[in-house]
Amino acid sequence: MTMPAEVDVVVIGGGATGAGVLRDLAMRGLTATLVERGDFASGTSGRYHGLLHSGARYVESDPLSARHCIEENAVLRRIAPGTIEATGGFFVATPDDPDDYLERFPAACATAGIEAEPIPLDELFRAEPLLNRRIRAAFRVPDASLEPWELVDATLASAREHGATAYRYRPVVGIDRAADGSVQAVRTRDARTGEEATIACRAVVSASGAWAGQVAALAGATLHMSPGKGSMLILNRRLTSAVVNRLAPPGDGDILVPVHTVCILGTTDITVENPDDARVTADEVTALLADGERLVPGLSGARVLRAYAGSRPLYDAAEVGGEAHHDESREISRAHHVIDHGTRDGVGGLWSIVGGKLTTMRLMARDTVDAVARALGNEQPCRTGDEALPAPGGSRPYWLGDRLSAVESAGGGDADLVCECELVTRARLTHALDERSDSSLDDLRRTTRLGMGPCQGAFCIPRASAMLDARRADGRLEDAAPDANAALRAFAAERFRGTRPIAWGDQLTELWLSAGIFRGTLAADALPPSAGRDDAAR
Amino acid sequence: MPRADVVVIGAGLSGLSCAAELAAGGARVFLAAKGYASTHWTHGGTDVAAPAGARTPREGVATLAAIDGHPYGWLDGALDAAIAAHRVRLDTAGIGLVGTLDDPLVPIPTAIGTLRPAAILPAAQAAALEPWGDDGLLLVGFGRYRDAWASYAARNLRASAWEAGPGEIRALEVDLPDLAELHNLNARSLALRFDDPAWRTRALATISARIPPGAWRVGLPAVLGSAAHLAVLEQARSTLGHEVIELPSLPPSVSGLRLATALERQIMGSGGRVQVGFDVVEVERDRRRIVAIHTEAASRTLRLAADTFVLATGGIGGAGIRAHPDGTLEERVFGLPVEAPPRDGWFSDDPLVPHPLEAAGIRVDDLHRPIGQDRMPLLDNVRVIGSALAGMRYLAERCGDGVALASAHHVASSLARSAVAA
Repeated sequence: MTMPAEVDVVVIGGGATGAGVLRDLAMRGLTATLVERGDFASGTSGRYHGLLHSGARYVESDPLSARHCIEENAVLRRIAPGTIEATGGFFVATPDDPDDYLERFPAACATAGIEAEPIPLDELFRAEPLLNRRIRAAFRVPDASLEPWELVDATLASAREHGATAYRYRPVVGIDRAADGSVQAVRTRDARTGEEATIACRAVVSASGAWAGQVAALAGATLHMSPGKGSMLILNRRLTSAVVNRLAPPGDGDILVPVHTVCILGTTDITVENPDDARVTADEVTALLADGERLVPGLSGARVLRAYAGSRPLYDAAEVGGEAHHDESREISRAHHVIDHGTRDGVGGLWSIVGGKLTTMRLMARDTVDAVARALGNEQPCRTGDEALPAPGGSRPYWLGDRLSAVESAGGGDADLVCECELVTRARLTHALDERSDSSLDDLRRTTRLGMGPCQGAFCIPRASAMLDARRADGRLEDAAPDANAALRAFAAERFRGTRPIAWGDQLTELWLSAGIFRGTLAADALPPSAGRDDAAR
Repeated sequence: MPRADVVVIGAGLSGLSCAAELAAGGARVFLAAKGYASTHWTHGGTDVAAPAGARTPREGVATLAAIDGHPYGWLDGALDAAIAAHRVRLDTAGIGLVGTLDDPLVPIPTAIGTLRPAAILPAAQAAALEPWGDDGLLLVGFGRYRDAWASYAARNLRASAWEAGPGEIRALEVDLPDLAELHNLNARSLALRFDDPAWRTRALATISARIPPGAWRVGLPAVLGSAAHLAVLEQARSTLGHEVIELPSLPPSVSGLRLATALERQIMGSGGRVQVGFDVVEVERDRRRIVAIHTEAASRTLRLAADTFVLATGGIGGAGIRAHPDGTLEERVFGLPVEAPPRDGWFSDDPLVPHPLEAAGIRVDDLHRPIGQDRMPLLDNVRVIGSALAGMRYLAERCGDGVALASAHHVASSLARSAVAA
């Protein structure tokens, strides 16, 4: 793929925010391209709890953010309904939650414009029979479950329809500046081939979230981020059918989100130096389970499939605000913030968008592009809330039954399941590889859910690796495509990283089954580094 | 159920072998198991010992016996008789067992085209043990079978350093008859088809027609029949006109399933009883003796009283040992203490290398009674066998089958001796 030589705006970062910015730029008629260091939505966007916020979580601590959430909640339901499962949500007061918070909550929701309907407890327990019977109050709020990969995919697809381009595995290695200090080009390197490319531009938007400090530094600007590591556990089935939040100031282990066939228990918050630090510690797991017990007694006995962590794009408000934005900074410091590095650091044409929530991604993009477009003399209004995104693959991607129907209606060998846990067929994988032939198995996971079920890849990894190998042998994959043996090793290691922190009970036995397959029967530890390309004897 | 002499808990290789030997010796045996075990998900060979550097299983056993606390430290003497008894049982069942403790460990091909060391294999895999000479290896995949990757395996084998390996390695994909409309075939569903004489005649003819000229050993998925395995294997050799090698792949393992079925039949043929599918739900105990166990059964529980209880429930992989979120490990039937490394040292960083936790298990005395920190027996009439034992790393050392067979024989023969003495 040849990258454009020149665009109006280069967007750095292929998460939800960057995808939203790209789409907004394109819809206003600006030429734009996006570069992402890894796979799309492989950073914070793909490593979150899957919640479409109602905003009720922030009504006390952060009223502006709460207002943003409820407004954008409605917008996303309108423009991206296929990525949302309308589970609804509850806020529940457990015996350990403070009385005064419970008393203030309804008024605070009303002020923020969030419907919070008090629910009789017998109704709550009928709807959610596993919840703690000592819960003493409950409110229904418009929380929902949101599929981040589908949302980012659909947003990028819309941006492409409007003429933009987006490239993954293209880390930025430099940002070139003119004599007056303003940006004039972005240099990227292909993470697989090492090939460098320079894209001339009039403006750069850094939508790199927790990594924004590193990107700003490339342009000689200083931005101090305080990444907040949030760890989450995946439980092997839905313990509740709606999102359940604790009625308390935001803290650890305070939310259960039903996502696809599983549910996510979140979320810790630990400030880390390095946003790439995604290790989940034993202490975090213990704390999450102990807090989860307050919502669903016996939860620690449920089967935990995986643990994972994302890096919140938090920043030091005083630092970011600077003098020029003093008036606003205090108010919006817990929400998102558009930083103009021209006025702040003398790096004209560079903006960073930091903070915010996945739920407010479209609003964050609008505010950013308002600033960028104005500076570039573009007067077009934002239309991203008016036009629906292209519908994702299935009408209800979260619904396993839709995938089952697709399997049943297809015929031939392509309907065979490669991943039995998540019903991923050979046809689905082939299609994903046809679309993005340079995909690693982990990239395929993000588009197809390969390897995300209870066995965490024990069966699908060798099958999918053999598929990759066959395609390479047929010459249908780009040189950048991972070798089958490297792919097998890398994905086995990736799946193991998430299983290791929660390896007890059935999941530890499953890990031993996996070890028996990989090391016992298949002796995968003896795989040559590369499967080689010779196929003369086929 | 009348009172049994011995209740064996667990239907893996160790439990089945121990029960078969006891039943053949005239004991009243009841085997109870929560489910089938590692036989159904492993390769079906007989891994006795293959630590790095060992040239034969016997050398491997000697290396492992020197490791402090390894079961071979006291079981090595039981191994010859255990393998001999195993051979008789497998020969009787038509599965066969080729190779001895003193035969060389040779690299044999796996389903993804790596090499693993083996010396003792069932007849269907044994052609991989013979020197290759000028023979080539022809790997055959079946179009609709997801778990045979002939081309991938062939490419890996050609890229590997296989000393004294085949002269040539090729891959072939064959579409077997009548499978086009079926989905998600696994090894067992294909094996059941091969049991059908009419279908297998057509299937083998289809494969035969595609084999190129030359001297080959034909590597086939390990699906050559279940109940009719011996007939299928013979017909495959004669129709293809070449020696065949079954390559085991993902579970379910047909090779292991044949083994478990055969042993189960032999137990029942000697008057023993087998109940698979029900967990132990209650244990009756009188100080250091187990009086009876209760298993789940349809709408009631079944009380099983016996003089001796053989615990063959496996380690972590067989779920005989279970870990809790707080990092403690528990033996599930009798609540025996489990020896294990500290929690923060359970795992290596790479899933494909050995983890320290693999050595976790139950410490026993020379009679295989479970012992505590003070080395004294915790239960007088319980014997622990198989991969529940502490101190071995069955994947890294490839010793799981040898320890299972040797410990089963050691316990079965000592129980038989004490019965005679009584």
